[in-house]
Amino acid sequence: MERHNTVWRIALLAPPLSVFAVFVFWPLFSSFFYSVTNWNGFGSDYDFVGLDNFAKIFTDKLFMNAAINTTIWMAAAIVVPTLFGLGLALLLDGKVPGGRAFKTVFYLPICLSAVIVGQIWIWIYQPDWGLLNAVLSNINGEKMRYAWLAKPDTALGSVILAWSWQQTGLSMVIYLAGLTAIPEDLLEVCEIEGAKLWQRIVFVVLPLLTPSTVVVIALSVINSLKGFDILYIMTGGGPFNSSDTLAMHMYNESFRKYLMGYGSAISVVLFLIALTIIGIYFRQLKKVDRIYG
Amino acid sequence: MANPSAARRFNPWRGAIFAMLLALAILFLLPTLGVLLASVKTTREIALGSLWSFPTAFYLGNFVEVLSNPAVHRYLLNTLLVTVPGTLASTALGVLAGYVFAKLPFRGSNMLFLVLVAGMFFPPQVILVPLFRLFNGMGLIDTLWPVFIVHTALGIPICTLLMRNFFATVPTALREAAILEGASEWQVLTRVVLPLSLPALAVLATLQFTWIWNDFLWPLIFTQSDDKRTIMIGIVNLKGQYSVAWGVQGALSLIASLPTLFVFLFFQRYFIKGMTMGAVKG
Repeated sequence: MERHNTVWRIALLAPPLSVFAVFVFWPLFSSFFYSVTNWNGFGSDYDFVGLDNFAKIFTDKLFMNAAINTTIWMAAAIVVPTLFGLGLALLLDGKVPGGRAFKTVFYLPICLSAVIVGQIWIWIYQPDWGLLNAVLSNINGEKMRYAWLAKPDTALGSVILAWSWQQTGLSMVIYLAGLTAIPEDLLEVCEIEGAKLWQRIVFVVLPLLTPSTVVVIALSVINSLKGFDILYIMTGGGPFNSSDTLAMHMYNESFRKYLMGYGSAISVVLFLIALTIIGIYFRQLKKVDRIYG
Repeated sequence: MANPSAARRFNPWRGAIFAMLLALAILFLLPTLGVLLASVKTTREIALGSLWSFPTAFYLGNFVEVLSNPAVHRYLLNTLLVTVPGTLASTALGVLAGYVFAKLPFRGSNMLFLVLVAGMFFPPQVILVPLFRLFNGMGLIDTLWPVFIVHTALGIPICTLLMRNFFATVPTALREAAILEGASEWQVLTRVVLPLSLPALAVLATLQFTWIWNDFLWPLIFTQSDDKRTIMIGIVNLKGQYSVAWGVQGALSLIASLPTLFVFLFFQRYFIKGMTMGAVKG
């Protein structure tokens, strides 16, 4: 019986594992290999340059700039959609008239591609007839002609807003699922005991939502680390690298300047960041599982 | 209603909450509405007035222009050629792995499962350069093959995760009974377990379809000539061609979004359930 099982295990696992190994796992390790070479992307010529690429990272001003932008981008991409999603979920929990329609509306942007979302928001930020300037003109009383995406101080923030618009629905859905798991009686008891609405939310609901929060934050971190498309579409990392992130910088060095060795070194750093986050995530998940599982 | 407080767990002011949600929903819809409005206006009308006003006449010329453009046909066809096989292949591979992890665990299988699922989390940029070299060596750059292959491979973690979590809910007794009746493992999987898994499969197919359809990075890296590009790259390419024709751009964006919107609305019920499947313990 056990031998029978072993045969089936091998037969069933072989296709997925081999595809994964060849096209994901192996490339992952070769990234480390290329990061110590000066490969230019073509041919088979390259030299080993040791840790030169990593040394270069520390003197590369653009890398430091991209690292700072990535930090800002990630922090905002965690906080903003998570808070909005939680707020919407709390508003939608229970029987709000038209609740289903509302949920669909808030979730819809997730189905759109980064290219479309980028396109939509480019129109909103457009200096001449963009919606944002039109609204601000109405409030302000004077004609606004601000080029949000073409100014270094607003470019990154503008893309973050577009990103938050797209991602909010995802955290809302996860929080809604978490809310349904909170027993009605518990909240009723708290109410009878005299807990005010905000007290019930802060002291009862939020702690009970911890598993959802772990999932939401993990997804936000992961998605934001991957967030390359929307920046590529909306600003291309500009103006003056003001919205350049590590992923963007890596792409530019590898596929625009053909410094694939250096690009690999950047991607190794990206990988180490991701690995750290994954590690923290799995540890938190275990902790949460122990408490709530 | 038996339990009136169920209707107002956190929202005792129903009217105010509803008004607030309505305002937020309109704010949320505005960006998309702009595209919709632009797509049914003439370029002249947009140039004269505002992109965001209601059209004076319902103009379908933008859609006609987009749909009669042979380049758009090519982009849509290419996208289908990677999306449909990519969805099927990654789902199938996830079913195989998920079944073993759920129903045939072995020593170290949890560890292997974790490693596989961790693959979901790292940024795709990390494997960009080696994959480029690999496919270049295989002579597959500027074909649709690398795009299909990479989506299949990168879909394996999420597909395995969701399918394992779903298969875990299928009673093991069912498998044992079938095995005692003389069924092979393959028959258990295809005749007993899979028919029960249609909702999970629907979720996975929806997710994979949406991701592959909407993807920008991989076709950007692996294809070069215009007739190998997918629709998302195509939109960016066509933007130059229609740089002042906002209406055409709007129509193009809309057409490119229709398949995923349709799939989402069709599978919505499963979709939201599936997104949180295994993520939150209920």
